[in-house]
Amino acid sequence: MKAARVLPVFSAAYAVIYLVAMYENLALATYYPRLRQWFALTVTDLPKSAGPAMYWYGWIATAAIGGAVVALLALALPERPLARFMAVASWAAPLGAVLVIAFLLRGWFLA
Amino acid sequence: MVTALLIVHALCAVFMLGALTHQTLSVWWPPAPGERSFFASFRAVRAAAYSNAIAAMFVITAALGAILYPSYRLAVRVVLEDLRLNWANGIFELKEHFVALGLGVLPTYLYYWREPAGDNALGIRVLTTLLAFIVWWGFIVGHVLNNIRGFGS
Repeated sequence: MKAARVLPVFSAAYAVIYLVAMYENLALATYYPRLRQWFALTVTDLPKSAGPAMYWYGWIATAAIGGAVVALLALALPERPLARFMAVASWAAPLGAVLVIAFLLRGWFLA
Repeated sequence: MVTALLIVHALCAVFMLGALTHQTLSVWWPPAPGERSFFASFRAVRAAAYSNAIAAMFVITAALGAILYPSYRLAVRVVLEDLRLNWANGIFELKEHFVALGLGVLPTYLYYWREPAGDNALGIRVLTTLLAFIVWWGFIVGHVLNNIRGFGS
C-alpha cells in the first residue's frame, strides 16, 4: 500500500494537466472519425474534407501520462506532509478543474 | 450496433446513478440509530462496498461512450450546429470534460474508500459527490441529446 499513497497526487496532477491540455490543445493523439484515422500529437492542418478532428482521447492520454509521471516523482517526498497536503489537494484540484471548465465553456450558453 | 451500444451505455449509467446516489446520501446524511423510514433505509447502505463496482462501471461506461463518440461527432453534433442549438453542444462539451476528469479521480476515490482514515473523510465525501454530479450530468445530457437527435433517427 506504500506506493498507493501517491494516488491522490495522480488525481490532482491529472486534473490540472487535463485542464491545461484541453485549454492549450495539447493532445497526445488526434482522431479523424470521417477518415477513421489516428495521428500522433495535435493535428489541425488537414484539409476540410477530412472532417472534424477529435482531441478528447489525446487530452485524456496527456493527462494520464503526465499525472503518472508526477505521482512517480512524488514517491520521493516524505509521507506525512504529503498526505496532509493531498487530503485537500486531491479533491480541490478536480473540483476546481470542473468549475474552471464550466467557466471556460460559458460561451456556448451566452451566444 | 451503435444503437445497441448506446442502450448498454445508458443502462450502465443507470446502475451507477443508483449506486452513487445511495453512496453520496449515506456519506453526507447517515441515518440516525433506529430510523426506519424509506429515506433512512435508502441512506443506510454499506457505502464502502459500492466503491469497486462504481469505479468499474464508470470505466466501462466511459469506454462505451468513447466508442460511441465518433458517431455522435459525425451524425449528431453537425445537426445541432445546423439547428444552432449551441446550448445542446455546450452541455455535451461539459459532459465530455467532466467524464474525463472523473476518470482521473477514480484512483483516489478507491484509495480513500479503502483507507477511510481521519484525513481522508472529507476527500471521500467530496470525491463521491463529484462523481455523483458527473454521472447525473452525463445521464441527463445524454437523455436530452438523444431526445433531440437520437442515433438511428
